Amino acid sequence: MFELLFVLFLLILGWSAGSLAERRHFAQLAEREKNNGAFLITQLKSFPASTESDLTPKLLVAETVVATDYFKSFLAGLRRLFGGEVRSFHSLLSRARRESTQRVVEQARELGYNAICNLRIETADVGGSSASNKKAAMVAIIASATAYQYQTPSA
Amino acid sequence: MIVTNTETVAGYQIAEIKGLVQGNTVRAKHAGRDIAASFKNLVGGELKGYTELLTESRRQAMERMMAQAEQLGANAVVNVRFTTSAVTAGAAELYAYGTAVVVQSRA
Repeated sequence: MFELLFVLFLLILGWSAGSLAERRHFAQLAEREKNNGAFLITQLKSFPASTESDLTPKLLVAETVVATDYFKSFLAGLRRLFGGEVRSFHSLLSRARRESTQRVVEQARELGYNAICNLRIETADVGGSSASNKKAAMVAIIASATAYQYQTPSA
Repeated sequence: MIVTNTETVAGYQIAEIKGLVQGNTVRAKHAGRDIAASFKNLVGGELKGYTELLTESRRQAMERMMAQAEQLGANAVVNVRFTTSAVTAGAAELYAYGTAVVVQSRA
């Protein structure tokens, strides 16, 4: 009985704290993406336009590790019984990807660049979750890109 | 040293190719961080400790790669890629590799 209550408590804690944190993070990401809207992001192998400037192109890298909450792990566990799309982990991956990308963009802006090209997004393995807690899921994303400063045609 | 993950460096031309350079590092996360992470797994959110760990190991791998390039007499590394692999639970390898080149300014 006590164990059941404990699991229920963890589920409620995970659901409330997890969804609150997630909503906040998504709102913050949307805000930052809007701020950086004028910043050019491409994943072309080399920059197609003129890049005459004093700034040497530079490699920038950012990484993010995000963990899921107990409630979502529980939902994913249920999903494994029936199969199908695991929607609860969908937002986890998109959070980590968008966060890494924004971090690269912010680094580039701080250094005075106005574009990044050859953006690569990679999922890293940080040794998985501790063996004792197999339910826990976390995802690590490394984003790397080369920052450029280019002349806008109008300028 | 110029480091990029594009095949060329805009504004520069590649004068000489020195060859593949690489750097890797295997880092273990310590138990304290693991405990903090397991708490985070209840409520969700970013695991700052692991993010830092990755940043540190990536820096070290890149430094080793750049040291190799310097030894070859290169002044730039192009087409840099990163990969990771889990060696055992709790330790992660970060591997950076690229092509060492000598570049000259076009101007």
